[in-house]
Amino acid sequence: MPMPRFNRADRLAQVAGLDPDIVLQLQDVWLRIPVRTTETRTLKSALVRSVTGGALRRSAGGAVIEALRGINCTIRHGERVALIGHNGAGKSSFLRLVSGIYHPSSGSFRSGCPVYPMIQKSFVTPPDLSGVRAAKAHYLLLHGNLRGFESFLEEVLDFSGLGDFIQLPVKGYSEGMASRLLFSLLTSGSHDCLALDEGFGAGDARFFERAQQRMKDFISSAGTLILASHSDGLLRQFCTRGLVFSEGKIVFDGDLAAALGYYHEHHH
Amino acid sequence: MNIIIEALGYGWRSRRAWWFTATSRTRARFARTALGGFWLGVSNLLSIAALSLVYGTVFKVQDFSHYVVFLGTGLVVWNAMAAAVSASPLLFEVNAAHIKNTNLHPIFYTLEEWAFQVQTFFQSFIMVLLGLSFFKHDLFLNLLMFSWLPIVNVLLFLYWVPLAICILGARFRDFYQLVPIVLQLGFLLSPILYDKKNLGQFGWTADFNPIYRILSPLRHALLQGEVNISQSMAVLAFNLLGLYLALWLLGRDRKDLPFFV
Repeated sequence: MPMPRFNRADRLAQVAGLDPDIVLQLQDVWLRIPVRTTETRTLKSALVRSVTGGALRRSAGGAVIEALRGINCTIRHGERVALIGHNGAGKSSFLRLVSGIYHPSSGSFRSGCPVYPMIQKSFVTPPDLSGVRAAKAHYLLLHGNLRGFESFLEEVLDFSGLGDFIQLPVKGYSEGMASRLLFSLLTSGSHDCLALDEGFGAGDARFFERAQQRMKDFISSAGTLILASHSDGLLRQFCTRGLVFSEGKIVFDGDLAAALGYYHEHHH
Repeated sequence: MNIIIEALGYGWRSRRAWWFTATSRTRARFARTALGGFWLGVSNLLSIAALSLVYGTVFKVQDFSHYVVFLGTGLVVWNAMAAAVSASPLLFEVNAAHIKNTNLHPIFYTLEEWAFQVQTFFQSFIMVLLGLSFFKHDLFLNLLMFSWLPIVNVLLFLYWVPLAICILGARFRDFYQLVPIVLQLGFLLSPILYDKKNLGQFGWTADFNPIYRILSPLRHALLQGEVNISQSMAVLAFNLLGLYLALWLLGRDRKDLPFFV
């Protein structure tokens, strides 16, 4: 009998005490965001509440936004999960929480594999540095070494179409060029679990068509997908399960079509 | 303890990335200059020359050659400390977009900044020692033979103090305004331009001055060709305690950091 292959996802699941089939498990998770400006202490809590869509509570130390409230959710390997809800409902907060950018204020959150967030809109390196160095830094962060970097860079150059501009400092790029390079970097490689915010752009219109197919291939290669979007078409294209958020809570969890139906019926 | 181990583990795993970005910044800094990295050493040597002339006269030093080396070695280490501390209060603010949108552990930014400051320090340190070797010929020998432990202490200090400051700077938005004032006072109150004995009856204050306690053993090792092991080990213990506390602070505040910046 062949030895089972040991991989990092299994190891993480083991460490987290999770069933290896489970990628993310949240139990009564709350995310309370402290609002530490003077204005919000004295204030306009009703205005802030209506803008954020979350419940605003006053705590002894000042105002707090409950961005996520009592979240209970389990996501398994291979699931394509849509996050549905109005602005400020908690979708982006949920994405950031499962990606490890935010940490729960209370409750239990366990992750069985690293979640790759596609939220950032800028390079890790300072703008004084060239596109090549930005690509190298990105590669080192992902892989820890430069093995295979040359072919990675060729692929990025080929897709982004930057040519010799990649040798120039990023601060000299147009917005479209920077977007193309960033998009190319972030969509290279596959990930066990992908957390994607639809606000992630792909540069100018001519590049957009090529980017569509690349995005499709990139998302399809992900083991598990969590996608936040206002676009029903995009969600139907990639997801099978829907979580409907409202004021920081999950108010519906089920089949995507039913989730979209619930959302449109109750929140429009 | 877990949060500290987690932070150090991440720092170790991402070491090639933060060292690479720091090196790239160092190279980019001098990309369009005539002197390149030599500028760091030259600017330090010019400061040393000017200050030693002025303060050598003010303090009526008997042995000017000794004073130049005394002041020069102290100043180059002080400049490194001041640069690291000055850059730290807004470090997380500068990286706010990444802190809010990527899951890089915040230790990454602090290590990258530390690597950049260390590279800057060594570039200017070596250049200054080269220049000062004209006055004292065994500086490099003393550096190689006696200065390892004091240098380790300087490098540790260059990490944990800015780390603690950048955490405080993220938590308290007006904290960065205090840093230049404290640095100026620290410079004047620390025996860098003058010897500790010039403080007279207030000489004991230098013993409680952390900047002096870090800087002095290195200067002493370079000038006298000897190192007080017990003193340096005590400073090392102090540094390790400071590092532990700073990392603990980072671990404690990590979850709030995206909301601070």
